[in-house]
Amino acid sequence: MTAPSGQAPAPRVLTPGVRAALIVLLAGALSLALEPAFPWVVTWPAEWTLPATQWVGDGVGWLLGWLKPAARLFSDLLRYPMGWADLALGATPWPVVIGAVTAIGWYLGGLPMAALGFVGLSFVLASGYWSQSMNTLALVAVSVPLALIAGGVIGILANEFPRLKPPVQVVLDVMQTVPTFAYLTPLLILFGFGPVVGLIASAIYAAPPMARNVILGLERIESEIREAAVMSGAGRLRQLFEVEIPSASAQIMVGVNQSLMAALSMVIIAAVIGGFDDIGWEVLLTMRKAQFGQSLLAGLVIVVFAVVIDRMSGALATERRRHDPRIAYGLLGLAVGLAVVFGARLPEASGFDLLAPLADAVDRGLGEFTAANGDWLAGIKNGVMFFVLLPLRIGLDQAVLPFTWGFAWTPAMSGALFAAAALLCLVLVWRGRAMAGLMLLIGAGVLETGIANLPWPFVLVGAAALGWMAGGWRLAALSVGLLSTILLSGLWERALLSLYLSGAAVLACAVLGGLIGLWAALSPTVWRLVRPVCDMLQTIPLFVFLIPVLMFFQIGEFSAFLAICAYAVVPMIRYTRHGLISTPPELLEAAVASGATNWQILRDLRAPWAAPTILLGLNQTILYAFAMLVIAALIGTTGLGQSIYLALGRADVGLGLSAGAAMAILAFISDRLVQGFAAERRRALGL
Amino acid sequence: MTGTGVPAIACRNVWQVFGPNARKALDRALERSGGDVDSAARSLQQSGLIPAVRDASFEVGKGELFVVMGLSGSGKSTILRCIARLIEATSGEIALDGEDIARASKQRLTQLRREKMGMVFQHFGLFPHMTVAENVAYPLKVQGLDRARRRARAQEVISLVGLEGREGAFPRELSGGQRQRVGIARSLAVNPDIWFLDEPFSALDPLIRRQLQDEFLRIQGSLKKSIIFITHDIAEALKLADRIAIMRDGRIVQIGAPADIVLRPADDYVRAFSRDVAKGRHARVASVMQPVAQLAPGPDDPGLRADMTLDAALARCMALYQPVPVHDGQGRVIGAVNPADLAAALQVEEP
Ligand SMILES: Nc1ncnc2c1ncn2[C@@H]1O[C@H](COP(=O)(O)OP(=O)(O)OP(=O)(O)O)[C@@H](O)[C@H]1O
Ligand SMILES: [Mg+2]
Repeated sequence: MTAPSGQAPAPRVLTPGVRAALIVLLAGALSLALEPAFPWVVTWPAEWTLPATQWVGDGVGWLLGWLKPAARLFSDLLRYPMGWADLALGATPWPVVIGAVTAIGWYLGGLPMAALGFVGLSFVLASGYWSQSMNTLALVAVSVPLALIAGGVIGILANEFPRLKPPVQVVLDVMQTVPTFAYLTPLLILFGFGPVVGLIASAIYAAPPMARNVILGLERIESEIREAAVMSGAGRLRQLFEVEIPSASAQIMVGVNQSLMAALSMVIIAAVIGGFDDIGWEVLLTMRKAQFGQSLLAGLVIVVFAVVIDRMSGALATERRRHDPRIAYGLLGLAVGLAVVFGARLPEASGFDLLAPLADAVDRGLGEFTAANGDWLAGIKNGVMFFVLLPLRIGLDQAVLPFTWGFAWTPAMSGALFAAAALLCLVLVWRGRAMAGLMLLIGAGVLETGIANLPWPFVLVGAAALGWMAGGWRLAALSVGLLSTILLSGLWERALLSLYLSGAAVLACAVLGGLIGLWAALSPTVWRLVRPVCDMLQTIPLFVFLIPVLMFFQIGEFSAFLAICAYAVVPMIRYTRHGLISTPPELLEAAVASGATNWQILRDLRAPWAAPTILLGLNQTILYAFAMLVIAALIGTTGLGQSIYLALGRADVGLGLSAGAAMAILAFISDRLVQGFAAERRRALGL
Repeated sequence: MTGTGVPAIACRNVWQVFGPNARKALDRALERSGGDVDSAARSLQQSGLIPAVRDASFEVGKGELFVVMGLSGSGKSTILRCIARLIEATSGEIALDGEDIARASKQRLTQLRREKMGMVFQHFGLFPHMTVAENVAYPLKVQGLDRARRRARAQEVISLVGLEGREGAFPRELSGGQRQRVGIARSLAVNPDIWFLDEPFSALDPLIRRQLQDEFLRIQGSLKKSIIFITHDIAEALKLADRIAIMRDGRIVQIGAPADIVLRPADDYVRAFSRDVAKGRHARVASVMQPVAQLAPGPDDPGLRADMTLDAALARCMALYQPVPVHDGQGRVIGAVNPADLAAALQVEEP
């Protein structure tokens, strides 16, 4: 409905949002106007940066120097359990390992799970990566108990001393937003090269999910259960260990599951720093040698492990029913029997390479495929690069060149772009949609300039405006304060590059994932197909995503972009679908009764209702994208991820930690902003 | 009151206020209102605190069955928690057998809970990872009883509540009513002197409920525990109670014998509770009887006794208009009643 033009609805047009957008627009326009005279508006001058990276490096270096003797002692101590686990897994005849996994599978989940274990491990055996896999498994076997104990103790303490809870939660949050690689550099300094770093990194990385779930589980116990224990006259320790922890066991098992997955993923990533003979290293090595068939095979071995571990430990949390242990013992006995009977006549585990021909075939096929289809593959890649990624990154004014677009961008074109945007904006404002108009204008400006070239005052003002709208003054101040630290530390350019790549990926995921989610919401058949794919994508360790994109698109930003999208699209799909299908049935019935068409219902009812949920999905997608960004640095991105990776190579703690912190800051701010908007939507819906 | 001497449970001016800095806020509110409960509660509410129990005072005698009634959210469970010191009362005194519970040390409290108190929770509070037998035996295990004795005693109370054969089941495998009975059995395992029951029968179907109520009365008849029993059901309250307390918005608005509640409600709130009660079946002639000195009986004697229900009495003097005498068990005249008063007491109040 448009208001009659006679009474100008001026006060209503100037909503707080519009006012914020106007200020941002003004900041952008001013920066653009001032740029020729004052170049420091766009590029933060080097002499204004504080040597924060240096300071962090020195400070932490000093601290680490202190810690080093203790750390070395600790790592020496850890060598024992690691040796034992290695020995146990490495020296155990492979039939026994397969039998044991199958038996555990049976006990936890019956026939399907036993079959999963058996087939999975048989695949590993056939792949010829048995000994590398056992090395990886040994690392997990030592790091996970450490993580579980540490996480459990932290969770219990936070539960016992309520005052500890808020700071513990903050630390856990930070630990989960700091990118995985950033952990590794200081650990490298402390523990030196070698598998112990991977072990400790994975223990550190895997502890927070456990702590979080222990806290959550203990919090969620019905108060009457706790009170019943009190009224039974049990002391605090008995209450805790006999009643509360067992009551929370389902949630705690979720923690165990997440912890296992985190540890596995980190152990594999840690291969980046150590030439240790494990499966992650194998992937890296073959990837570097462009042996994609072998690389894919090793990647599949990782996937198999991830799936087996995830499904089995997941059954711990969801399935209460346990299956007959006698059959489990039977299976194990059979395996041991086989091993004893055949004894030395058993073929060496690493002697298997049944799948090597397959790998070769993949390599050959891939070669032929890329030879035959190279043109359109390159076409896709260049198309996306030239017409989407580059303009986003450096702006139309620099990305449009005769070489890419067939013509050169002129200032007149900028003028025309702005004029067109302004005109559209005016039309929208006139139709009462001032916010949309202003956003359009701002968007045009960003596109013309490029994210990497955005003037910093504009970014700060923009962040402040978003923060203010999403969560009030405090969030605005926090966002600006945190971003300023990045600006001052001289990591600004790289941060913008990271922002650009993850932004592009998030945008793509939002559109693609939103559409798939919508489709899955409308058609159960589609969901039945999409769902296992989503499950799979969420189980696979990040590292593995790199293999297929590399196979087809080589090293470069586009490959990184694809890998990020593949990983980050999943939450968007899930949350969109979930939001759309969970509209209360009585609302739908009311709409149907009043004669709305399906499309109208979707637009007017389901979409607004789903908005908060979809926003949460977007939030997850953003966090996923940041997580993957760092891993994707392995295959060529610029920005903070690359810095972290470089720092790892140079053992530069200062750079590694600062870049990691900058990354965490970006993730943290986006998280808070989106959460704020989601909360506001929920409030608007009265939820 | 059936008991004598020190009451089993005594509450004096108990307040329970939820929220930050409740104690200070309560003191200030009371000071400002000059001790007026309602205005103090209102000012607490305005500052965002929840006064769940307001200035509650009552005593429960030894062996007495004391029922607490009130609408949902009126603070019944909360006051029970205060007495068991599952939460610390914000102010007021609570004594069990004369012992100030607020000052009991941690050890003493544990001892009291092990030996003296039993509690049935509104939502059962069963331990999900233990079987029925383990749930019931847990308080005994905590006391350090050996396995065999534990099992024997658990078996005893399990059959008392009629759950034989389900000892090995887990709570999630039981129906709501069965779970409730596990809760009852568990609270009985240690044979407590003081028994707190928070809506113990509300999850049961009417048949089982009646059966358990009868069973409950029988147990109480022989064991003579001091009981606080919470219920929503006025019929249940009238059937079981020695005395009834009615709570409203955290205050106790009336305490009295069942007949008092029915016949002499303190206000409309209490009256509303007993509106649907067939009063004639609960109130006795004694409650409307007057001394002979004040009301001289007329010539007719339909043979009323003091412990007759009003219904039965009215049936005998349908056609009478003069006061009639009331006899005690031995046939002596102990008072008189006006048939018109009988009928008036039965009148259902019109809104
Ligand atoms: N831990 C708590 N924190 C804050 N408020 C509470 C807490 N426990 C109870 N309340 C509030 O105190 C009031 C009384 O609650 P209580 O559980 O005692 O009610 P009730 O009479 O037992 O009701 P019902 O019959 O529904 O069980 C309610 O308004 C409730 O919201
Ligand atoms: Mg209650």
